[in-house]
Amino acid sequence: MNDDLDTANSVEFETDSDEAPRRRFELEETGFREVPKRWRKFYRLWDGPGDTLAPNEVICPVCKVVIRSHRELRPGDRVYCMPCMSRLVVARGPDGGLIADVLY
Amino acid sequence: MADFLSQYSIQRWLEACPQGYLDGTVYGHDPDETEAEEVLTIDSLREASIAVTVQLIAGERCALAASSGLINCAPDDASKMFLATQTLDEARHVEIFTQRLMDLGIKKEDVNSTVADLANPNLVKFAEVLLEKVANKDFVAGVVGQNIVLEGMAFSVFELLQASSAGNPKFAKTLAGTIADERRHVGFGENRIGSLIQEHPEKRPEVEKMQAEMSYYMLATFTDMFSDAGQRMEEAKAIAAQRDENPLDGVSWHGADLMTATPDVMEAVLADTVLGEFKTRLGRIGIEYQSPKVPA
Repeated sequence: MNDDLDTANSVEFETDSDEAPRRRFELEETGFREVPKRWRKFYRLWDGPGDTLAPNEVICPVCKVVIRSHRELRPGDRVYCMPCMSRLVVARGPDGGLIADVLY
Repeated sequence: MADFLSQYSIQRWLEACPQGYLDGTVYGHDPDETEAEEVLTIDSLREASIAVTVQLIAGERCALAASSGLINCAPDDASKMFLATQTLDEARHVEIFTQRLMDLGIKKEDVNSTVADLANPNLVKFAEVLLEKVANKDFVAGVVGQNIVLEGMAFSVFELLQASSAGNPKFAKTLAGTIADERRHVGFGENRIGSLIQEHPEKRPEVEKMQAEMSYYMLATFTDMFSDAGQRMEEAKAIAAQRDENPLDGVSWHGADLMTATPDVMEAVLADTVLGEFKTRLGRIGIEYQSPKVPA
């Protein structure tokens, strides 16, 4: 597996000097099979209202799949949803959690 | 241009779909799976399953005609390539739901007459609105009608049917594959139109009128389908209650308890969910959602 692979663009991971370093996450297979094999660990199905998002996860608003990154996501990060081909930018939602907006 | 498709290819579709979630399946389900016994042995449940499956076939035949027709009016090669894969997805959907109809006891030679007899007239009109746009080679309206309105409706209907099929793993598995396909289709619709509508703002009024018209026929279809469902739902609940473990126990869909919800409640939840999705999706791409007339 190529460790450089990620759903988020690595150039977007620049961290300002006054911000805490981003946490890193090991990604395991989730049973998601809707993308080619090397990308499957970067996605999982959303389990509904009882489900919670980790700091490295955000929901694609177009297809409702959870997008996962090796690193903690923050507002401004650009992520790619391969199942529906949407390019997204991470933002802060009204409840303080992370959401994603579509870039057309 | 369709930049979001720059990483899409037939090869990727092959790896994700036939070599991915469909690998090892037969007509969309695991080879050893069969329809739930009560669906095959209790007439009213079998008839209800046939009626639902016919609507799925009618919808997918429309999607097949629309996606294949849109290939030749797509303004760029990347969209043509995507729509070629979508055309095969839709053809597969027609096939797997037709196979289900035969699994439910309809003879092959009776499939077309059964679909003609049982396809809801409002669903047929829904399809006609879309196919008229495609016949006129109107790519923007065609993609909105196909990949946002029709696919958006299918996405929610399939999810509801999947949640309701907790006791029928064969049908649930079949639906899971179609839902995975729909993710690509709605993604194409939103992303392609999201950029294209900015280039053709003059198309907005016509597209909005089409959305309202298609939404009306969709709601009328829901009303027709749920109006006759009360007795069958009660029968299904009674059968489920006789089991030690009820597969629908604790299963909910968008807040509706599938064990206890009445047909009226389910119709309202489905309609609200689909229309809410339309509003959100269309709003994201700069098209103003139009509230449809409420069917009588």
